[in-house]
Parts: sequence; C-alpha cells; structure tokens
Amino acid sequence: MKNAKLWIIVAAVIFIAAIVWCVIIITKPPGEIVTISQDGETLYTLDLSEESDRTITVEYEGRENVIEIKDGRIHMLEADCPDHTCINTGWLEDLPIVCLPNKLVIEFADESGADAVAR
Amino acid sequence: MKAKRLALLGLLTTIALIIFVVELRIPNIAPVPGMKLGLANIVTVYAVYHCTAKETALILFTRIILGSLFGGNMLALLYSLGGGIMCLLGMLLLRKVIDEKHIWVCSVLGAVLHNIGQIIVAAAVMQTAAVITYLPFLLVSGCVAGLLTGLCAQLLTSRINLNDF
Repeated sequence: MKNAKLWIIVAAVIFIAAIVWCVIIITKPPGEIVTISQDGETLYTLDLSEESDRTITVEYEGRENVIEIKDGRIHMLEADCPDHTCINTGWLEDLPIVCLPNKLVIEFADESGADAVAR
Repeated sequence: MKAKRLALLGLLTTIALIIFVVELRIPNIAPVPGMKLGLANIVTVYAVYHCTAKETALILFTRIILGSLFGGNMLALLYSLGGGIMCLLGMLLLRKVIDEKHIWVCSVLGAVLHNIGQIIVAAAVMQTAAVITYLPFLLVSGCVAGLLTGLCAQLLTSRINLNDF
C-alpha cells in the first residue's frame, strides 16, 4: 500500500530537525582558536585573541586566496575563484568559511584541536 | 527508442536547461555554497513520475552536464552530480511508495537527499568534515525549495500527459 502520510511525517521530522540543528549551530559561542586548512592539511592554527592584524596569502594551483585578520576577527579578503562565496560569507562566526574551488577551509577548532594547541 | 519519444525527452531536457540558465541570474540570498532554488528540478520530478528510470536519468544528467557548461562553472559539476545521483535514486525508489497525488512529498525528500549528496561530495573533495556544518542550512532551504518545485510538478502532472503527444 502506498502510504503517503508516513512520508509526509518523515519530511516534516527532517525539516524540524534541520531547524533545531541550525539553531544549535547559530547559538554556539565562537571559540578563539582558528584553523586554516587546505585539501585536508592544516596550514595554520591561529589564536585570534593574540593575533596582530595581518593578511595571509594561500596559493592553490596558481590561484590565490587572501585571508585577513583584523581586530581579533578573520575573513576572506580576496579570492580569484569564480563564485566568491567565501568572501560573501563575511567574518568567521557560526559557519566555517569555505572556498570550494581552492579547497580552503577556515573554521573554529573543536575542543580536541584547542587541546592540541595548548599542549 | 522511438524518434517521437526521443524528441519528447529532448524537449523536457531543453525546458529544464532553460529554467536552469534563467535561475543562474537569480542572486544567492545566503552565503551558503550550494544553496539555490533548483527550479530545473520541476522537470526532474515530473519525469520521475512520467518517464522510465532510464529516461529520467538521461534527462537529469544531460541537464547537469550541459548546465555546468552553460553556467561556466565546471567546478560545480561534481557537487551537482553527487546531489543529482542521490536525489534520482531516492526519488525512483520513493515513486514506488508515494502515489501521484503526493508528488510534493517525493520532491521534498528528493531535495533532502540532494543536499546530503552535495555535502558528501564536498566533504570528500575538501577532505574535511567542516562542510557538514552547512548541511542543516541546506536542508531547511532544500525542504522549502523542494516543496515549491514539487507543487509545480504536481500542477503539471494533472495537466500534461506525455502519452497525449
């Protein structure tokens, strides 16, 4: 028997769960330790509270990303990828900054990452 | 495949491509990579219920590959393919358990699977789990967009019967 009601409930549960998940991510307090990684390798681990204002240039297959640190915040300043999604993401807050074409990720380190830095 | 059938599939693919290209002009509302309306999937959802599995796959993959070429963003091709394959397999299975009066439910679940597929490809390509943070945001937008495209396909399905041509 085709039971559409069951699938309506499944869809509704997924939708509500996704909203709750979003809220959890948004309300999570931002950390201080930021990692910049490319292609699965961590390039930089930075403590934003101690960093002075500067820019970091990362190259990938001839394409460049310029990351700027200013007043204890970090964002993508320039990128020569076609979509510029990473720049539009703005300052690093809840969501990691991702440059899909250049495989670059800027994110807050999780607990284990912070421990590794402390050691 | 009969020439008439081939022409029909070509027509459906062209409609999907036109919708796709027009949609490229709509600016992103949120800075989440991969978030979009996916209006071209109106045709995909319609095809799932009116064509065979093979025909639907042909329409979808031709649209994705040509769409990436027209859009000039071949980098997005992998993500579209990952999402497209998940979505197509899921909807072809759901077709067996969801009747034609509830196409919109199938569409919403298809969108959810599309988002999961996209994230899996992104996580594999970027070698990081960080992209999973984007999944809930994609899912919320995917459910809404899937509902919209599903309702559009629902409207079409009662009005257009491919066998009439």
